[in-house]
Amino acid sequence: MQSEVNARGEVRVLRPGSAREAVTMARRWGGTYIAGASWLQPVWERDQCWPRCLVALDPRWPGFRGIERAERGLVIGALTTLDELSRHPLIHDYLPALPELLKLVAGPGVRRLGTVAGNLCAGGDLSALFLSLDARLDLVGCDGPESKSLAAGYIASQGVDLIQSITLPDSRLWRIAVDKLGHRERFSPTRATVACVHGGDRLRLAVCGEGGPRRLPITEAALNDGHSRSDVDRARLLASELESCGWQDPTLRLAIQRMVDYLLAEVGHDD
Amino acid sequence: MTTEFRASVVTLDAGSDDSGSLTTELYRRIEGRLAYPTDLLDIPGLLQGAILRSEHAHARLLRVDTTRARRMPGVHAVVTADDVPGVNRFGIVVRDQPVFCVDRVRYEGDAIAAVAADTRAQAQAALAAIEVEYEPLPLVSDAMTAEQQPPLHESSNLLAQERFDCGDVDKAFAACHVVIEQEYRTPRQMHAFMETEGGVAIPDGTGGIVFRVGCQSGHRDVGQLADILDLAPSRVTVEAMATGGAFGGKDELTIQPAAGILALKAGRPVMIQLGRFESCRAGMKRHPVVAKMKTGCDANGRLLAHKVDAVLDTGAYASLGPAVLENYLDHATAPLYRIHAYSVSGRLVYTNNGVSGAFRGFGGNQATFAIESQLDALARALGRCPRELRRINLRTVDEPGSRHQPVRWTVAPVDLLRQAQQSPLWTLQKETSGRWLTGTGMALGAQGNGLGDGLPDSGGGRIALTPGGRIRVEFGFADYGQNVGEAITRAVSKGLGCGCGEIDVVLGHSRGPDSGPTSASRSSVLVHGVLRRMLPLWKAAVRQQAAVLTGYSLDHLAHGPGGIFHLGQRVLSYRELAENGRLEELVADAAQDFPVAPGQEKPVGRYLQLQIATVARVAVDRLTGRVRVTDLHHITAAGRVIYPPGYLGQIEGAAVMGLGMTLTEDMPMHEARMQRNNLDQYLIPTFQDAPAQRVDVLDDTPGNDPFPVRGVGELGIEAVAPAITSAIEAATGVRVHKLPVDPGVLLKGIHRQENLA
Ligand SMILES: Cc1cc2nc3c(=O)[nH]c(=O)nc-3n(C[C@H](O)[C@H](O)[C@H](O)COP(=O)(O)OP(=O)(O)OC[C@H]3O[C@@H](n4cnc5c(N)ncnc54)[C@H](O)[C@@H]3O)c2cc1C
Repeated sequence: MQSEVNARGEVRVLRPGSAREAVTMARRWGGTYIAGASWLQPVWERDQCWPRCLVALDPRWPGFRGIERAERGLVIGALTTLDELSRHPLIHDYLPALPELLKLVAGPGVRRLGTVAGNLCAGGDLSALFLSLDARLDLVGCDGPESKSLAAGYIASQGVDLIQSITLPDSRLWRIAVDKLGHRERFSPTRATVACVHGGDRLRLAVCGEGGPRRLPITEAALNDGHSRSDVDRARLLASELESCGWQDPTLRLAIQRMVDYLLAEVGHDD
Repeated sequence: MTTEFRASVVTLDAGSDDSGSLTTELYRRIEGRLAYPTDLLDIPGLLQGAILRSEHAHARLLRVDTTRARRMPGVHAVVTADDVPGVNRFGIVVRDQPVFCVDRVRYEGDAIAAVAADTRAQAQAALAAIEVEYEPLPLVSDAMTAEQQPPLHESSNLLAQERFDCGDVDKAFAACHVVIEQEYRTPRQMHAFMETEGGVAIPDGTGGIVFRVGCQSGHRDVGQLADILDLAPSRVTVEAMATGGAFGGKDELTIQPAAGILALKAGRPVMIQLGRFESCRAGMKRHPVVAKMKTGCDANGRLLAHKVDAVLDTGAYASLGPAVLENYLDHATAPLYRIHAYSVSGRLVYTNNGVSGAFRGFGGNQATFAIESQLDALARALGRCPRELRRINLRTVDEPGSRHQPVRWTVAPVDLLRQAQQSPLWTLQKETSGRWLTGTGMALGAQGNGLGDGLPDSGGGRIALTPGGRIRVEFGFADYGQNVGEAITRAVSKGLGCGCGEIDVVLGHSRGPDSGPTSASRSSVLVHGVLRRMLPLWKAAVRQQAAVLTGYSLDHLAHGPGGIFHLGQRVLSYRELAENGRLEELVADAAQDFPVAPGQEKPVGRYLQLQIATVARVAVDRLTGRVRVTDLHHITAAGRVIYPPGYLGQIEGAAVMGLGMTLTEDMPMHEARMQRNNLDQYLIPTFQDAPAQRVDVLDDTPGNDPFPVRGVGELGIEAVAPAITSAIEAATGVRVHKLPVDPGVLLKGIHRQENLA
């Protein structure tokens, strides 16, 4: 961990010329990557505590901004803003559930600044959907490019790995349902966002919010193994899986469980 | 406006306003072109001030060393308790709050010192260089046990207690067929104004000082500030500028004492503008209330007995707490309903939980939430319709108020109820199966105008012709968004038959007429009353001079657009009058006492009463327990509407504020520390949370009524919370007694019922 300072003026902002240089600088100076700063800045202001050194990311670096069709699906530049994401024709074509979800993410001002990678690193609403889609992170590591599943990315510490892009599988034929529980209708941090994806033969479930972003492999396995279970059993399984991965509030677990049931019906899963 | 239901009911529609002048003023406001105190950045020599706030909620102050701070670059003045020239105390009701703490801090955010520097950053850096040594003291964080804790001030933590009794309540309970006992809790709501507390103190060069600030009572503040600064009141001027919201949160002094002391010390103007974090931490809040209520009725639903024990947490200092307690208890007597016997008591206690004070509703809406919930519970227990139960208990217009005082309604309460029963929201289909459960509920509320209880309450205004021939109208009220200026313009334009564009309204200047505080929904009543006295005086003075200048008989001259008319022809413009007349005589002043009940030696409660019925429709998410308020239909009985957009803005705006208090807003405390410090955590409703609203005005005031205009600044918040919780109950079968509504509690209730089913 790099040391911190108590005045904004003391923060040193490094402006690397390339992604590789950014990784080197972050490693050498212990700097924090900064994209739209929409998540970092309010936290610093609140705590009156800033990192000594920031590494500013540049959306002009190749592959860091924009959305492209690729063989495997869609590749989304890490520094693509949430606003760009919500308006992009490829997203409307490949993943119409995403623009709907983005309407519930923050407000217009934050969506214009906030980036996809920033949202994922902050455990924002996109995490649940992207986890359930088996998204992969394309990283610029110290030892060259690397690809990692998003789920693995969350398990590993978000240290010096720099996300260049996120690859989503082609999900045009999948059934996808997402739901968010916030404190108010809009402009609320998520209490629980649940995503449920029916990708042909398999169901995938993920959640993010107060208990952190998680794929739910145990519940998924139970749903996919073909044995029918009673609703009560399935609810218990989900509740214990949630509890074991950090979701401590029992009423929030109950809400998630009911949201999952609802989303399963939406994607046409009958147990 | 379109007429609905009956001849005396109109549905308000802001778009129907046809006076033409509304756009300029409203658009200036909407587009942020009004000059707020925050904008006063181009005053020559302006310094930036900042206040050092206590890090502890309760501690002995052992040492405050400003040596290093004084030597910091750009610093012009550093002040502490030692530098307060006069009285180091303030407070509207009880002067118990130090400008700067001397030997003890009583809440996290208490002021210890202040700095004026060239820039805000330099001021902040200097604050950081002030060394403070604390010795933490045990916290008084639970209002319910505060009285048993060591006192935060000289005597006990019980700041005030009050009790209203009527009849033999124990005997009345013994005769009850049904008794409901319940505890109610309401939150520590934050004003969350758009513009935080702030302003500028400017030395006038002759030893006096001028404040340009966001405040609610310039004249009253002069008195307190003069004492603090040890100046004659004549040397202190307060200009209450248009400010981005107040809602009671700027009623008490905020930054003025620190800014004034710094300005005197530095000999230069000093601006202090609280940041949002600081405002959240140090600013005033709504009193959280815990109330135990016990209410009983006979088998027919007639209310017989009612008992209330309430505890209000006023935090570290009194501010307007004692008056809030009084208004809470007044509302807790259930002013709209006839109850055979009651015993209503409340205690106001000091704690280390910030400071609570004035807030739109002023304690009344907290009480109404509980009262209306009790009535619904009684109806449920009796298996009767809640509206029917209300109907048989409502007072008539001829009856005295709940404290046996004379009251003046504008319509019979039962008419209001009847109107509410006809709301189209009752006929919407109830969803009981799908994801969203819907329901409609209703609550009634009453609210009085004026400071009440015989407190000194008067106000005046002035009208004059300017040298340029414009009509200048002055009142001491502050404009904090309610746009009282527009209401004054309308009334004057109507009274003089001139265009709104000919009138300049000047507000909030302590050198001008004293209109009293901009609070207690009193401005409209006073404006109307004062203009009624003032305009004839001025018209007579103007006509007299016009007669001399034109040679026409005074009796044949009349006011009209742009000047004075004779037989339908303008014979003298106001400009010509200003140029040729004696301006010093073209001034009229008038003042009046706020209307109180006639023939009362010691007035009780409030004489001018308003009513509101709010019908709410909600949709509750069966999956998660979250609540959407889809519609609010208000029926108001508050006299005549003089400015429809203003009236609508007040009712709808207050209702959304009440919705926030009902669903999301609370400043939770942990060990006397506020747990939210910005608007990304403290969640006020957004546009997406604001429901469709409709305001129907029910008015039966006769043409010759002496008080046809009432103030509606607080009325809209009165019945919102119980209407919403009643609708939630209709949707889910779960009644909530603690605000804000916890979706988890609702979800558990819904889940339990599903399992039972
Ligand atoms: C008022 C408000 C309301 C909000 N409401 C919501 C909401 O409803 N739902 C929701 O999901 N989110 C919400 N957010 C969070 C918002 O989505 C995030 O702030 C935004 O997406 C973060 O993006 P950014 O580019 O600004 O990230 P930054 O603040 O710049 O960074 C965030 C984190 O990501 C890391 N990071 C950024 N880019 C990279 C990269 N390429 N590689 C590696 N690490 C990187 C940074 O080091 C940092 O740790 C809200 C935020 C605010 C301020």
